[in-house]
Amino acid sequence: MHPFAELSAYIDDALDPTAKAAVETHLHDCAVCRTRLGELRGTARLIAALPAAVPSRSLVPRVSVPLWLAPIRTLATLASAAALFLFVASAALSGLRFSTGAAPAAAPAPIAPNAGAPATSVGAADRGTGLSASASPAAGFAVNPSASPVPEAQRSTQTDATKTVTGTAAPPAAREDAATTGPAARTLSVPERPQLGPSPWVWLVLAVGFGALALVLQRRLRAA
Amino acid sequence: MKAAASEANALLVQKARQGDARAFEQLARDVERPLYRLAVRMVGQVDAEDVVQDALLAAWRSLSSFEGSSFRAWIFRIATNRALDRLRSRRRHPELPLDPPAEEDDDRSWAEPAAPGPELADLAADREALVVVEEALTTLPAEQRAALLLRDIEGFAYEEIAIITAVEIGTVKSRIHRGRLAVRNALVARGWKGSAG
Repeated sequence: MHPFAELSAYIDDALDPTAKAAVETHLHDCAVCRTRLGELRGTARLIAALPAAVPSRSLVPRVSVPLWLAPIRTLATLASAAALFLFVASAALSGLRFSTGAAPAAAPAPIAPNAGAPATSVGAADRGTGLSASASPAAGFAVNPSASPVPEAQRSTQTDATKTVTGTAAPPAAREDAATTGPAARTLSVPERPQLGPSPWVWLVLAVGFGALALVLQRRLRAA
Repeated sequence: MKAAASEANALLVQKARQGDARAFEQLARDVERPLYRLAVRMVGQVDAEDVVQDALLAAWRSLSSFEGSSFRAWIFRIATNRALDRLRSRRRHPELPLDPPAEEDDDRSWAEPAAPGPELADLAADREALVVVEEALTTLPAEQRAALLLRDIEGFAYEEIAIITAVEIGTVKSRIHRGRLAVRNALVARGWKGSAG
């Protein structure tokens, strides 16, 4: 009886000592089995010699995140918040107009000093009060404080036409100035006001940009 | 040298089990190519990358359940299972047995050489023989092929292969022998004289 079934295990050194000894004894006397053994060994060697294919890309899953990811995400969030704050502050300080009719409205002001002026100044006040309600006293309009008694009187007649009237000393004062100095009124509507660095819109764009970056990084962190 | 390497490896495994993603990635890089060459011979080049990537991801997710001593055997087990699953899903009738029924192992299973061909004593280095071997491997039943590749290419011991394929050692022994025999027969049929033992 040839121990054919044991020959492979013999090659792989997977036989217990007793079985191994038995096979060796048999091999000593059996040429057929020696031949078979050689063939099996040769086959195993050929299999081992097969060319090894390599993958075309890395197959390691990305389960870790780069060390800089979380800190940059935090910084981006803070930068976005800071830029947003600067946008709001900058916009408030520069008395941001949300419509483009403000300049032409102020220009005709010197032409109609009495009747026309209150109407146009109402328009200006209307647009300006949206944002400048709280900041107008400090808006640097070059408002002369001596004009305050007059705005009081004007305000009472124009409450229905203005959205918010509290603290709107500036627009009536602008009307006052418009009535006296035409070119001055024109220049007043042009932003000669102090601004916080570049135009407010720049800060808004930065805020959105940093915010988007923080969002993308946060997603990447979550995905890991 | 080998002891130091396996110690470093054990440290990586420990870190990875604790959730260290970088340690796991390092372990994965070390087994990436061996896993791939097994997968290629099991499922072919088209699906091999998918199989390996799935296996590595599954390994990362189930690291907490790794208890044995050999990380390599464990990850090969995951990959081999995925490869076999992929093969099963390709067949239309998954109930077909992957192993042929047990047969008597007598002289009839040893193919005799065809008409005496040219001397091919140095076939070990000959590409033609390797092509024959490659072809023969693809005709093997999947589980025989897996056992044979794990033994002859990856060098796993029979005990490890038993763990990887979740069968008894006797089954491993039988599969390896049958697989090798089939490849040997294919070679002999093409005129191979067998290299000197």
